[in-house]
Amino acid sequence: MAEAQGDKTLTLSEQYHLKGNEEKANVGIKPEEVKEVQNPENAASKEVVADKAEETPAAAAAVASEESSGSTPTAVGEESTEDNTGAAENSTEAAPEESSENTENSGEQEVEEETPEVKLETAPADFRFPTTNQTRHCFTRYVEYHRCVAAKGEGAPECEKFAKYYRSLCPGEWVERWNEQRENGTFPGPL
Amino acid sequence: MIVLEWLFLTIAPCDAAEPWQLGSQDAATPMMQGIMDLHHDIFFFLILILVFVSRILVRALWHFHYKKNPIPQRIVHGTTIEILRTIFPSIIPMFIAIPSFALLYSMDEVVVDPAITIKAIGHQWYRTYEYSDYNSSDEQSLTFDSYTIPEDDLELGQSRLLEVDNRVVVPAKTHLRIIVTPADVPHSWAVPSSGVKCDAVPGRLNQISISVQREGVYYGQCSEICGTNHAFTPIVVEAVPRKDYGSRVSNQLIPQTGEA
Ligand SMILES: [Cu+2]
Repeated sequence: MAEAQGDKTLTLSEQYHLKGNEEKANVGIKPEEVKEVQNPENAASKEVVADKAEETPAAAAAVASEESSGSTPTAVGEESTEDNTGAAENSTEAAPEESSENTENSGEQEVEEETPEVKLETAPADFRFPTTNQTRHCFTRYVEYHRCVAAKGEGAPECEKFAKYYRSLCPGEWVERWNEQRENGTFPGPL
Repeated sequence: MIVLEWLFLTIAPCDAAEPWQLGSQDAATPMMQGIMDLHHDIFFFLILILVFVSRILVRALWHFHYKKNPIPQRIVHGTTIEILRTIFPSIIPMFIAIPSFALLYSMDEVVVDPAITIKAIGHQWYRTYEYSDYNSSDEQSLTFDSYTIPEDDLELGQSRLLEVDNRVVVPAKTHLRIIVTPADVPHSWAVPSSGVKCDAVPGRLNQISISVQREGVYYGQCSEICGTNHAFTPIVVEAVPRKDYGSRVSNQLIPQTGEA
């Protein structure tokens, strides 16, 4: 129990880090919506996800603490499954208190609490690629990311979502090959 | 012997093919449920036609038997019967086509944004699965190979040529996007219980969206001849509750990111 508590504090600080990313990404979406022809459904569905997360703060927190128990620097690989289940049980007990605290603290905290639930998130369905063939979807997301980086500079937060999308959609082998081609200047796409 | 096997000796793993199986495996996705319902719907018409045609055939054979009726009647024309036997057979395919197309298009449609993307990459002769939703760089991703378990290494209760060393773990009751592609020759990714059979074509990414409705282990086999070891590239999907999926992924992911 004491160990689990220690884990929690550690991971909260780690989650601050995550929160930064998430906020930036959220900010980035707004200007992007105007530029890119994102369908409004995407935004709507995101809200739905957020709502869901709010509905089940306990579950979200449980997942969070489970992750956190895994992410502690102390010998993660060797951690037995028993330990994990134990931690999970502990966290479910402690979860409601934790979440209520957070909601009291600030709105930002709340957003940060949702990040673990958002974890089950991937590139959304894209109306430009409604068919079974998603080859272009992957390629387009890759190109979009690199055009975004070219326009806004390396590490621009609003480009991160494109990176997430293309990593979700493209096989690692393809991305490797394209990266090589970009370095050699032989990439066939419009960069 | 076979009857014996039927009655007692078949230990049926629910979501794998079993010996002498005639029907479908139990449905695990709404898609498969739809396919089975369509099958039953069509079978209704099929039996109807079978009975009707058999009746006509048997009657004709009976009444126009050469001993009974040596000189056949010279009927060469009958307007009413000809109209009827043209119209009815053209209506029946329509009744079959309507639910069939409805199902076909609903299977293609992606209604909800998927929650996770899994890439199923076929190789000669194994499968690689990539979970890349949680990456923060191009290099690190949760990737593993899935090989069939050789016959000699099987444990009691495991199915020959169906079991693999690393199963695909997916959350149940969640919308999944599975991207199917090979790295060499055409393969396929087929899981009968989930109603999925998707060819893997080199240079192309095929998407299937499924939502597994119950936890369990689902077995499938490659369905596109891909070389000598085509028979040794099974597919095993393990559907787990959502929260277990989260912990599984983070357990597998975090040691990796630690290294990187
Ligand atoms: Cu094959």
